[in-house]
Parts: sequence; C-alpha cells; structure tokens
Amino acid sequence: MTTAPENRGGDRPTASQNNPANISATGGAGGKGTQAPKYIPGMKSLGSTGVETMAQQGGAALAGDPVPPVQAPTNPMESMMAGLTALDAESMDNLPISDGVDIGRGRGSSALPARLTSPINQDENIALIKRYLPDLMNATRLPGAPDSYKQFINYLKNLIL
Amino acid sequence: MRWVENNFFDHLDKFANSLGYDNYEIAIPLAMVPWESPEDRDIFILTITGNEVQGGSPDTFRAAEVK
Repeated sequence: MTTAPENRGGDRPTASQNNPANISATGGAGGKGTQAPKYIPGMKSLGSTGVETMAQQGGAALAGDPVPPVQAPTNPMESMMAGLTALDAESMDNLPISDGVDIGRGRGSSALPARLTSPINQDENIALIKRYLPDLMNATRLPGAPDSYKQFINYLKNLIL
Repeated sequence: MRWVENNFFDHLDKFANSLGYDNYEIAIPLAMVPWESPEDRDIFILTITGNEVQGGSPDTFRAAEVK
C-alpha cells in the first residue's frame, strides 16, 4: 500500500513559500498607513522601546497610528525664565548672580574678599578728579567739543567745589 | 588741536552721558580703556545700557572741522 505524499506543514520543497511564482517582484503593498493599532491581551510590557521614544519626542507619525504624536515642548527654559532679568538668574551655587553686588538680590559688596573690592574709595575718586580737572576743562575748549562733554565737566567741577 | 573721536575725552563724554553723571566713578575707568574703535565702544555701551549711546555725535566734530 502506498500512501500519498504528505503535503502539510514543514519546509517542503513543494511548499507554497518555496514557489518562486508566489514571490512578488514589486514587493508588498504595505499597511498604507490605515492599519489600526491592535491590543494584544496579556502581552508583556517591553518597556520603552525606540519606537515609543521616538513617538514621545514628536517624531514622524507611525503608519497606522491614529493618534497624532505628542509635540515635544519647546525650550522649557524660555517659559521658566520669563519675566526674569540677568540679575535674577541663579548661579551654580544657588546664589543670585547679583550676589556680591550692591544692587539686586543677594549679599552686597561687603561679602566680597577684600582683595576684590576697589582700592579707590570716594575720597580718592574726588582727589583724582581734582588732579585731572584742569586737563578735562582744557578739553572743553577744543573746537568741536560737544556740549554733552562740557555739561559733564561742569558736573564734576560742581562736585568737587 | 581739535576734538577727535576715539580718545579718552570722547570716551568719557559717551560713557558719562550714557551711564549717567552719577556713575562717573565707572565712566572714568571705562574711558581709559583703549577701545579698538568707537563702534566697539558703542556696542559695549548699547549692551550694558540697552539704550542708544548718548553724548556728542560725530556730526558735531565734522561741523567743527568745516569751521
């Protein structure tokens, strides 16, 4: 008794997947972007995959994904820094950038080491102006000296007299 | 000798009028800086004050030259 050759299962030479006539020369048509995502019950979560990460970062829409990707927020620093000035910014030590300056937040110049403070105090400034005021005044007599300069020299002259 | 741009007196005029006379203690040392050009100085002033540079304009000096 002869039996008919088995034509089910296995990787047989006569199986349809091994028939060259069944191979498309132009490739498959793909999902055309219309395939809805499928829920697979009981499927174990694989955690954050590259595809998910790309979707979170606002990447291109996935084929068949009916939900538009969430747009990545723009620079968050812009909203965080809104209404702040440079003097309000915090340094890396959580101190205001104006710390050590007599204006803005933080400690005043008294917090600076002595070697960083200006060696010239108010009296020395006045002495310096007194010393060079004649030269500064001579410059006001130069042809073309602007009125703004003359007014400033008058201010200095009144300051020391 | 006439008033010229880009020397100590010109710098002092610009800094004192841009920063305010009360800030002469800052204006004087800044006027001593050997600025590369008046444009560099003016950009510096614009950066720290946010306003146009105050003081005598170059037109003032050119008018003096004509005379």
